[in-house]
Amino acid sequence: MGTTNPEFLKGTLDMLILRTLSRGPNHGYGIALHIRRLSQEAFKVGEGSLYPALQRLLVNGWVKADWGVTDTNRKARVYQITAAGRKQLHTEVREFDMVLAAIARVMEGV
Amino acid sequence: MKFWNRLRLRSRGNRLDGDLSEEIRLHRELLKEEFMRDGMAPGDAANAAARQFGNTGVAADLSRDEWAFPRFDAIAKDVRFALRLMLRHPLLTAAVVLTVAFGVGANTAILSILETVLLNPLGMRHTERVMAARVHIDSLHMKDASNSAADFHDVQSMTDVFSVAAAAEGRVWTYNSGGEAVRMLGRAVTPEFFAVFDAAPAAGRFFSATDWNTIVLSYTTWQAQFGGDPAVAGRSVTLDGKPYRIVGVAPRDFRYPADASAYSLLTIDPARVAQGHGNNMNMTVLARLRAGVTPQQAIERVRRFAQAQQSADTKEGRDLAKFGYGLDLTPFSAFVAGDLRSPLWLLWAAALVVLVTGCANVAGLLLTRSSGRRKEMAIRLSLGATRWQIVRQLLLESLLMGAAGGLAGLAMAKLGVSLVTRVSMPGKQLLALVVLDNRMLLYGLGLAIASGLLFGLVPATQLLRDSQATEMVRSRRRWFQDVFVVAEVGGAFVLLVMTGLLLRSLWTVQQIQPGFDAHNVTTAYFTKPENDPGFQGRLKTALQGAPGVESAALAYPVPFTQGGLTSSFSIRNRERAPGEPEWHGEAYFVTPGYFHTLRIPIVAGRNLAETDDDKAPTVCVIDRNLADRFFPNQDPLGHELAMYKGWARIVGVAATVRADGLEEETRPVVYYSLPQIPYFKSAAAMVRSQVPAGNSVREAVRRTNSAVPVYDVQTMDERIGEKLGMRRVLAELLAVFGGISLLLATIGIYGVIAQVVAERTQEIGIRIALGAQRGQILRQFLGHGLRSAALGIALGGVATVAIQKWISGLLYQVKAFDALTLAVALAAILVVLLVAVWWPARRASRIDPQIALRYE
Repeated sequence: MGTTNPEFLKGTLDMLILRTLSRGPNHGYGIALHIRRLSQEAFKVGEGSLYPALQRLLVNGWVKADWGVTDTNRKARVYQITAAGRKQLHTEVREFDMVLAAIARVMEGV
Repeated sequence: MKFWNRLRLRSRGNRLDGDLSEEIRLHRELLKEEFMRDGMAPGDAANAAARQFGNTGVAADLSRDEWAFPRFDAIAKDVRFALRLMLRHPLLTAAVVLTVAFGVGANTAILSILETVLLNPLGMRHTERVMAARVHIDSLHMKDASNSAADFHDVQSMTDVFSVAAAAEGRVWTYNSGGEAVRMLGRAVTPEFFAVFDAAPAAGRFFSATDWNTIVLSYTTWQAQFGGDPAVAGRSVTLDGKPYRIVGVAPRDFRYPADASAYSLLTIDPARVAQGHGNNMNMTVLARLRAGVTPQQAIERVRRFAQAQQSADTKEGRDLAKFGYGLDLTPFSAFVAGDLRSPLWLLWAAALVVLVTGCANVAGLLLTRSSGRRKEMAIRLSLGATRWQIVRQLLLESLLMGAAGGLAGLAMAKLGVSLVTRVSMPGKQLLALVVLDNRMLLYGLGLAIASGLLFGLVPATQLLRDSQATEMVRSRRRWFQDVFVVAEVGGAFVLLVMTGLLLRSLWTVQQIQPGFDAHNVTTAYFTKPENDPGFQGRLKTALQGAPGVESAALAYPVPFTQGGLTSSFSIRNRERAPGEPEWHGEAYFVTPGYFHTLRIPIVAGRNLAETDDDKAPTVCVIDRNLADRFFPNQDPLGHELAMYKGWARIVGVAATVRADGLEEETRPVVYYSLPQIPYFKSAAAMVRSQVPAGNSVREAVRRTNSAVPVYDVQTMDERIGEKLGMRRVLAELLAVFGGISLLLATIGIYGVIAQVVAERTQEIGIRIALGAQRGQILRQFLGHGLRSAALGIALGGVATVAIQKWISGLLYQVKAFDALTLAVALAAILVVLLVAVWWPARRASRIDPQIALRYE
């Protein structure tokens, strides 16, 4: 994630974060770690760009944030998905599937 | 939703920034620990973490952008940029802000006055249905005079146009306020008075027809003297030693008349109506228009009524026709404003001229500056700025300057209004009520913002056109500026001519000698005490004994205050010629010291004497004017004249003086001996002394009888000055306006020529190098400037002719089209503008071709 196509990634990253949070509340580092692990290190650039995305989600009311404590007893800001967030995730996943399917059809059709 | 979240997040302000950096710090720390767990050295782990995280600053910035308001922040950025630009050109900014401030300030202050005096008389709402009946008597050149009881009867009878009519008459009471005798002004009013204004009492009730010895308090008196006591109705006050029961309080915005502290009940004796028209003319008759009747219809109705009265074939009809006596109907606002009307409109128009020329000038200045910004704009456009962004930027700059000017202007207006309320001139009670209310503040700000848009739009559109085009368009911009200069010069010229005319009138009036020596004379009114017969004699002695007093007298009334008491008179054994209007004169009631104190010579016969007291036969002194008119080639001494209290023998003739105003000749004057005519409740003390005597007069009255209130203490010079107050204020204000618009025009014309010279430096250099004469260059630029100036002056001249009819009422013995004034104004403006054009033109003629050709 990061430098290639910000516009494309912006939407994708939002979706990935929401998906991660739909499993349970987590802090920024935890989210980054999760995405990294599940993508098998495919997205491995600029974890910093996670934060603008998180702010965007906050502004849209899809997630909420509170200061809490990590497993290792550190003070961290913990994000939690909201009902609106779940709805948004659902929409985005459906759109993403449609786009993927469309791309696949085009690629196969050549 | 998004908006509210942003607002909520933003309202947390710095905490959000703090949260974010704390979060980022933790993230990097955890990353570092992860790398260390993988076996990296701490330093390497930190570097790897930084790489993996990316640019911390960018992440924070981008995050912040997410909760920002994009449009708002863009505007804030524009505002910051505009402010920086304004501060970088402090002189230009100051010029613009000051110009707008003055224009807006003057306009707002004058509109506030107009509002109180004219549009919304006395701050009373909804008076547009109220009309005032006034009297004109053509044979005496009287108009706008007060009414007699018969007039009130007439107005009451016109029920087809008026739903209700009322009459009011002046009252003066002495009121004991905490042991001190205070004079209180009020009105006696008929019960319908408050209904005419559709007013509801603030407390208690208004009069019924049988409320003898009751009063209604004004709101201010209620607050000031009774602490706003809600149960004030039923309390009693002592006025002139008699108890009056308070029945109610007038509402807060009821300020008519401006000087009234209380109202008592006026009942009109039918005998007074029967006296007929023109007798005892001291009523003010007001009426409310019946629903559906327009003011114009009512005015027409009253005019027809007066005509019918005059053409009636009765004795009364013939009398009225002979004198040209009739009723006029005036809207209440015009009635209240009286003489203040045309000066106020004139000032307002002048202030608008200043504001408009100011805007033209500012537009010119900004246009000049914008040519210097052509490159900046071209760069911004090529970097992708949209046209709208650039226009927005420019408009914002001028709006900011306009708003700054507007705020400064409102401060000026505030100051101006507080000055105006202290001005000494007729109508000052009215001016004292002027306040700068919220609506006026809105008007001022609106004006400022409109100005900002006006002078911002021109350079903005020009610049946009300019950025894509060429010299062709640029010369068009100069054409624009020439129009501004023409407008400025024209406006300045009109104001200068007006100022000149008003100043000439003021000087002419000031040159008039009143015929008596007004210097070093102090005057003070007092209310005569009841049950103290020797008071006047004792007071006179006390005044004469006061320190520094050369001579003293008692008199009623004082010259230059309200005029003498006008009355008709007859001469024994003398009949009026058939058709001759009734003889009218003015009476003054004085003690013998009066003529000496004011240095009025007795030209024939004798002065009044101490022996002319209430036991002696009534005598009088007439003035030269009366003697010449009624006793030509004849000795008036010994003749008898009746005006007040039967026949009075003429014992002397005094020189003619102007006692009511410098501008008009006084009517024939009769001086009575004060002790012989005890009809009036007040009189005045007058002393001539080399030292200020106001306090010694007060002290003398207080020592003679401490229950006597003293009021209206003024020197004679102040009284005369007050009569001139309107002329002086008007001339001074117009001089200020004229001066400022001349200054603006000068700056404007200088700016245009200077810019043209700067833009054509290279061309001039080439021409000089090719052998052009420096004189030619000088003449060329002088000519350019003077052409605009001449056009402006010509247009201004046309405007002057167009408005001359309008201002002639404000002039005195000066024609509105006065050759001398026009010539002086023309010379003044030409000299000033010539100097303004000369500087840049001379610079052009001295251009060194060597330098000019290298000039970019």
